[in-house]
Amino acid sequence: MTKGLFASRRNLILSCLLLGSVILPILGGTYLTGQMTQYFIYGIFAISLDVIWGYAGILSFGHAIFFGLGGYMMTLVTKQMIPYMTAFHSTYVGFIFAIGVPALLAVLLGYFLFYSRIAGPYFAIVMLAIAVIFERIAVNWYYVGGFNGIFSIPPLTLSLPGVFSYEIIQPVMLYYVVLGITTGCYLFCHRVVHSPFGSILAAIKENEERVEFFGYNIVRHKIKIYAISAGLAGLAGALFAAVFSFVGPTILGFTMSTEVLIWVILGGRGTLLGALLGAILVRSLEAFLSDIMASYWILFLAFIFIICVMFFPKGVFGYLFSDD
Amino acid sequence: MDFSSLMIQVLNGFDLILILILVAIGLVIIYGLMEVINIAHGEFFLLGAYTVVIAQQWGLHFWIGMILSLIVVGFIGLAIEFLCIRRLYERPLDTILATWGISIGIKQFIIIVCGPAGQVVHTPFAASVIFLGIEYPVYRLFTMAASIAVITLTLYIFLRTDFGLQARAVIANRNMSSVLGINTRKMYRTTFIFGSALAGLAGGIMSPLMSVDPQMGLGYLVPAFLAIILGGVGSLYGVLWGGSIIGGADSIFSYLISPVGAQIIVFSIAVVLIRLRPQGILGKKS
Repeated sequence: MTKGLFASRRNLILSCLLLGSVILPILGGTYLTGQMTQYFIYGIFAISLDVIWGYAGILSFGHAIFFGLGGYMMTLVTKQMIPYMTAFHSTYVGFIFAIGVPALLAVLLGYFLFYSRIAGPYFAIVMLAIAVIFERIAVNWYYVGGFNGIFSIPPLTLSLPGVFSYEIIQPVMLYYVVLGITTGCYLFCHRVVHSPFGSILAAIKENEERVEFFGYNIVRHKIKIYAISAGLAGLAGALFAAVFSFVGPTILGFTMSTEVLIWVILGGRGTLLGALLGAILVRSLEAFLSDIMASYWILFLAFIFIICVMFFPKGVFGYLFSDD
Repeated sequence: MDFSSLMIQVLNGFDLILILILVAIGLVIIYGLMEVINIAHGEFFLLGAYTVVIAQQWGLHFWIGMILSLIVVGFIGLAIEFLCIRRLYERPLDTILATWGISIGIKQFIIIVCGPAGQVVHTPFAASVIFLGIEYPVYRLFTMAASIAVITLTLYIFLRTDFGLQARAVIANRNMSSVLGINTRKMYRTTFIFGSALAGLAGGIMSPLMSVDPQMGLGYLVPAFLAIILGGVGSLYGVLWGGSIIGGADSIFSYLISPVGAQIIVFSIAVVLIRLRPQGILGKKS
């Protein structure tokens, strides 16, 4: 009974949010629509961190390497910068690479790290080191733009070879496309974490040893969710590249990894909607407050972050609704 | 390559190793005793360096600034332990997040107070001396001597005094030592202050050798962490090994390739080594 009540509350909130999002371009101006498009992209990134951290208990520092890699992949494909691959430069191929390559990297990293006894805090530190390695490579590899990054990336293009080709640059159109992808990602993740697979992940989070004794291969489950998470982060990165028309080392670096942690902590880890709203909330507040508070904004954000970690581990939205 | 330029590289390498150990030893006693991963350690280092910068701006003597870096950062450590870390002892993974937040806060605080640009600290020493037949900056020789002194003192405190005995008892078995009447809470606080102050002092000592800027903490934090994991967290001697390997490899590859290439290679090697031997060089297989 209680569960049913919560479920309906979730559905109610979800419907309201979706309705609000759909009519936003009509009520809000072009500026707000453009901003929300960006926030939804960050929201997908936040969800991708939440599925692995909030639901499987793996704290992935340096999650931005997957986001950044997705962005770079989209860029390299659509700008025809990959040798022997210049014939395939459509948005679709870009998305396949932007999702596939980070997922593959996650599988490799997972095999490398999860099968050892590197756990908990060590994993966090090792991921931090790997993130630094990636940032250094991106900064010093001039073919992919080096420190300055790459500009003028083609926009998302809907096409059928030889039939038609349509560039999605009109802000409202772009907004609806991103909204659709975000909703899809949310529903997909919701399904994943509430599947039998998701239950095993939740069990791993609670007590790894016990799950192992039940005969499950916990490493394989961890690698699977890590790959899903990385693929989603890559998708968000690809959207970022196409929408901002820019990629650079900043999007796979330490700062970006920090930001996504803040969004998820503030929004509420362990609730997908919380993570999504956390990204939107922090970004909106930033746009609004960073003018007024200037450099005190980050100080304020750090303070709220620490308070949340200490006293409100479920974040702002985690108490508002339960995601399950 | 001539002899003197090689010697300079070797001495610089030793300098880097010693500073790395100095930073890492604070981390390892905090982690070993409290199981707190202190991400803000790099920013404690930064605070030490900035204490010297501000002392210099106020016209205080360099040495006073360096002593202040120890005291000021020690007190900041006390405040952070009291306000935050103390409440998270039962949740070790959350201390990573909390200290991460603290590190962002400290970095931004420094940017607000001192600006984002790099600062220069002047030493009271003459530029360089002839040493072993080569010309070498006096201050670098001082940093080596000071690092060796502080590292030795720390090892002495932890390996030869009653406090050290109690501390090692807590590292070995926290519950048992608490049952035997060791005040673990007090121990934690003392350790955290001690570790913070060491980071602050390391920052103070290093401040004249680099451009002191708000982003440099991470550059010391990650190698220091890799050094302690590589050395094995259960032993204080481990950090000497880990620091030597990371610092030494970094110096060699910096010379052979480039500082950036060295960082990429050394971090990669360290990650692989940690993967193959998570218990560290001195750690025993459980």
